Formats: sequence, structure tokens, C-alpha cells
Amino acid sequence: MRYKMGIKNQKFLLFLLCSVFCILPFATTAFSGDKGGVRTVAVITGDEIMGRLKQPSGLFFDEIKKRLYIADSGNGRLVSFDSEFKYMAELTNEAMTLPSSLVRNKEGHFFILDRGKGEIVFIDLEKKVVKSFPLSGVSSAKEQFVPGRMAIDADNRLYIIDKLNRRLIIVEQTGAFVREVTVKDKGFFGFTDVRVDDKGEIYAIDAIAGVVYIFDNKGGIVSRFGSRENKKDNFRFPTSLAVDKNGLIYIMDQHAGRILVFDKKGVFQHAVSRPGVKEGELSYPSYIFIDKEGRIYTIDGNRIQVFQEEKG
Amino acid sequence: MKSSGHIIWLTIGLVIFLGLQPGIIYAKAVKDTRGICLECHSKKAEELTNKAAVHQPVKDGKCTWCHNPHASKHAGLLSYTGSDLCYNCHDQKKGFMGKVVHKPVEEGNCLSCHDAHSSDIKGLLKKAGGEGCFSCHPKESIINKKNVHPEVKNGRCIVCHNPHSSDREGLLIKDKKSLCAGCHPGTGEVFAKAHLGYKVSGTDCLGCHSPHSSDKKGMMKASLHKPFEDNKCSSCHPVGSASVIKSGISLCTECHEAVLAGFNKINSHFFIGGGADNLCNNCHNPHASDEKYLLKDKEARVCYECHNDTKEYVAKSNHKHPKLGICSDCHTSHGSNSQFFLTKGNDTCAMENCHSTQGKFTHPIGEKIIDPRSKTPMNCSTCHNPMGSPEKAVLRFEKDRELCEQCHQM
Repeated sequence: MRYKMGIKNQKFLLFLLCSVFCILPFATTAFSGDKGGVRTVAVITGDEIMGRLKQPSGLFFDEIKKRLYIADSGNGRLVSFDSEFKYMAELTNEAMTLPSSLVRNKEGHFFILDRGKGEIVFIDLEKKVVKSFPLSGVSSAKEQFVPGRMAIDADNRLYIIDKLNRRLIIVEQTGAFVREVTVKDKGFFGFTDVRVDDKGEIYAIDAIAGVVYIFDNKGGIVSRFGSRENKKDNFRFPTSLAVDKNGLIYIMDQHAGRILVFDKKGVFQHAVSRPGVKEGELSYPSYIFIDKEGRIYTIDGNRIQVFQEEKG
Repeated sequence: MKSSGHIIWLTIGLVIFLGLQPGIIYAKAVKDTRGICLECHSKKAEELTNKAAVHQPVKDGKCTWCHNPHASKHAGLLSYTGSDLCYNCHDQKKGFMGKVVHKPVEEGNCLSCHDAHSSDIKGLLKKAGGEGCFSCHPKESIINKKNVHPEVKNGRCIVCHNPHSSDREGLLIKDKKSLCAGCHPGTGEVFAKAHLGYKVSGTDCLGCHSPHSSDKKGMMKASLHKPFEDNKCSSCHPVGSASVIKSGISLCTECHEAVLAGFNKINSHFFIGGGADNLCNNCHNPHASDEKYLLKDKEARVCYECHNDTKEYVAKSNHKHPKLGICSDCHTSHGSNSQFFLTKGNDTCAMENCHSTQGKFTHPIGEKIIDPRSKTPMNCSTCHNPMGSPEKAVLRFEKDRELCEQCHQM
């Protein structure tokens, strides 16, 4: 028995097909948008020559020499990679126990947060100098100074998180104190990560409160956004942040396994990557960095991934 | 003409809509159906009405306020299930929607405490006083010490706790600083002497005293900070003052200097900071505690204060690791060189013979077994998520196929 389709049914079917084909491109775009339209440039976990990474907790891309430096904390070393992310060398030193956050100035000197000693270590490779980096003239505070993650600006000034006193300390290359940046907000827990852009605007995040702060170059609050309330596009546990050349802020949400991108006003733009352990996915990521070419560097567990967003 | 037509259609629509709502129009319209209902349910009559407290609709014979006499998709021909039925008359906004909601209320299980028809106990309660509470909150875990708070002994839990909801932790009826003062005004010579002359009125009594039972005199908590136990208050406070002799953590580290080294790790909690003036006090009570390490509250509560998203994740997970509330079984609280603050890194699961055989007869794990997906060494957490999972054995994927297919092409 053959079923004869009536005109009404044919029209309905046509309508259905048209609807599906109209919706499909949007659905596809949304899906790839959620994945971030991201290409994986490199994955670094280690090999027989360099050994396996163990608890890496910070990295820095040197724009002058085009080199990637990773603080391989568990192995107590710095490892360097060329612009194509091929292993170059490692640096170990007795004065450096658990290297974590690191920055490099225009002269090629390193400033490294040593979590084992709870201090900042200065390294001049040319002069073979590795020593503590003392600060001077820092305004007094209730608690002792315990440094956290760092950032460096275009004028070679260091921005150091003062963990126990819940503030940022800005110092010159000499270690001379310039100013502090604090937040008086009720419910402010302290800064977890900090970045500074070419204009000197400071970006910092409070992981416990789930709030992103943007300060001007004098330390005044320009804007703040974010929350850890259980709502869509809110943070679960944002541990790190980075800023791209367009001023977009990339927030690494460790427990969500995603990077959420916002403009300076805190308006959500898009998400990058998704949770998981496969290449291109993020499993409890802890750190993010973005270079001038827009490459996104992430640390999840014992793995470094480098992504490039595909501009559609 | 046109508008009157609209009104007619709207009225018809409204009548049909309301008519479809179970038990609204029908139930409210019928005044007393008890006579009709009890023609068949006569055995229930005595049981329903011959008790000290009878639910008002039962008393008024309005059986159809809750039951549909014809048909219902719910057991007992009920018009709605759970608290949805009760909230038809008892306004949910009045007393059931605080920041902290008692679990049975949250789950809509009003009948776990109340009888829907009648009871010999006030409030239509199924069990009198604390006996109802002890059904879920074991008596032996609350009244397990030598000295018992009289109200607890008498089962008068509601003197301090609201059984439905509260804006305060522990469903307390008042904030901690004024709860005790209702009965213990904190005046008089005996009170002052007991507190060595320190002004403690307006402070949190529960910081030092156990509210339910205690083996110590004065209902003190089980573990006491040594200077506190020895009445050496001046080790930390100027005589007679609640202020402290040193600011910040130096007050603690002067004696506990060795503790500082525990924070100098890759992952460090040397950051913790909420409202407390002294960072140590964010987790510890400097005077007394019923918990180990003088924690200020039960361990999970202390950790979840900051890790609230983990608390939510754990709560909604179907399968969880046992003893999940004892965080320090697996995690180091001050600092760790392992991811997730694990006490012994990848060997944490095998600690203290918990899972010592894992990896020996199951799927190989270890530094030389590389996960092809992440290119990193496999460990227990490659396949299991100890914090919770929708899958049995807290597996990250369905065990029969999906889990293996992550790495093995079939």
C-alpha cells in the first residue's frame, strides 16, 4: 500500500525542512563558538630529553626573544622553549627551590616567585647572578610580606601580590616601592592573579569571591565584575586571568574547566575550550597567559597547551 | 460587540483552565464531604478525629481540599504531592524560605514530621519534642557526653532551632551572639568569675561552649587551646581585654613557628582570608573546639566556606567517595606540592590501606603508563572522580564502554 502525500502534508514537510536548514547554521555556529573556534598550536608535557613536567605553576612568553619559559615547580627548575615550542634548556639553582610565577624584563633578567622560600628570586643569566630580590620602602602592613603571582609592565615595574595583606605592591626594578593597590570591598578575600596591559591598567582576580578588578595605572578601581553565585556565566573557581591586545579579559575557571572571555565592562563575550583531558580540552586548569600574537597558554595538571583562536 | 465576544471567550478559557487544576474549583466549592467519605472510610473516622490535634480541613470535613474523590495521578487520590499540597494553605513565604532550609522542608517531605490528619501532639507532629528530631539526628551523636544541656535533655530542640527554615547556620532562631543570652543574660559575679573577669557578653558563646553535651565542666568544648586551658589568657590578650597583644598571624606563629613551613609549598592556603582579623582564625578557633586541630567548625563546613562550588557539586553527585566530609583524609590543609593539595600526590588513594591494591590488579597506572589523551601519566583520578560522579564507583564515564573507549578504540 502506497502512502500518498497530500498537498497540505507536502507543504508542512517543506516548512519543516526549511526551518531545519535555517536553524542549522546558527546551531553549528553556536556550538563551535562554545568550543571557542580554537586551534591547538602545541601541547607540552615533557619527553625523554627534558623529562616530564611536574606541577608546573607559572609561565611567561618573552616577546623580545620569542621564548617560552615554564616554571616547572615540582622539578625545581625553569625550562625554556623556542618560538616553535621546541625544548631549549633548563635552569636549576640552589637558590631556587619551588619556582612558580615568573616574569622577564627588557634586559632579560628574571624575577621568579619561589614558593619554597616565600620570596622573589632575581636571575641575571649573563652575569650568572641568582639572588634574593629584596623590596625596600614598602608601606607597613599588619602581616608579613608573602609574595604571590607577579606581572611586569612596559616600564619594567613589577606588580606583586602581597597575599597576607590582601594588596598589590608595585615596585621598581631596584625593588623600591612605588605604590600599593588595595580593595576595600566587603567580602574581598585577596588577589590570586594579576596582569598589567600596555597602558598600565591593572587586572586582578579574587578567586574566592570570584571577582575581577580592573584598576587604572594609579590604582583606582575602573571596574569590577563577577561572582561565584551558582548562575549561568558566573565563575566556579576563577584562579587566573590574562588580557589580550584588544583588551578582552580571559578568565581561567579551574573548576569549570573553561576560559570565559569578557570585555572590560564585564560583558560576557564567549567561552574558549571545554572541560576534559583530550587535546584542546582543559582539566582543572590553573593558569593562563596570552602573548602579543594572541596565543593562549594554559596549564592544566602537568600539561601546557598553546591555543590560537580562529577568527571567524 | 467585538470586545464582549473576547470577554466571553476569556471567561470560558479561564473556567476551563481553572477546572483543569486538580482540586481547586471542585474542592473549594464542596463544603463538607466528611459524611459522604466516611460512609466507606468509616474505620478512619475515629482515627482522624479523636485526637488532641486535628488538621483544620479534617475537622471541617473538607476532605476534598486535599483528596480528589474521583481520580488522581497521585497516591491517596491526593490533588498534589509533597509540600505542594500543603503550600496551598500554608504560605511557603512565611517561615519556609529562609537562607537555610531544613532538609525535609527542602525536599517537600512535610509528612516526615507531621501527620496530615490528626495527632495527639501539638503541631500535628508524629513524635513528641526531640524524639522527632532524633529520628534523623541520632541521639547518641548529640547527647553523648557527661553533661547535657537541660533543653536538649528535655528534647526541646526548638528552643534554639527552627524546624523549618532560618537565615542562620544550624537553623538557629537567633544569631550566635544573642542566642544564649535569652536564658543566660551574662551578668552577675559567678558569670564574671567564670570568665576570669574578661568581658564576654555579646560574643559567640558557642566558640567555647558546646551547646548540646560536654564531658567538661561548664559545657566547654572537647579540645582546648593550651593557654586557654591553663587560664593563661594574657598569653594572647591584655588583662581584662578582648583585644590581642600582637596583630595578625604573628600572634600564633610566635608559638607555632614550625607551622609556617607547611605553607611554603607549590599550592598554598597562605591566602585564606575572609572576615577574621587573624588569618589563622578563618579555620581555627583560638580557644576551644569539638573538632580536631581546634577547627572552628566541622571540617567540611570550614572547607566549604570557600569551596562552596565543590559543596554544590558533591551534593548533586549520585555517587560519592565515602567520608567525603573529612577533607583532611586526602588533602593537606596548609600547603602541598601536589595538585589539589593531595597529601601524598598520586599515592594518596593508597594511603593507610584505603586502596592499597589499586593499580596492582586493575588497569596499570603510574609514571610509565601514559594517558593517550593528555599525554600525562595515569593515576586513580584518570578514571575516577573522588569528589563525585553520576557513575558507580565514582567513574568519570559509563563503565561498560564509554570509559574504555576514551583511550582504547573498539
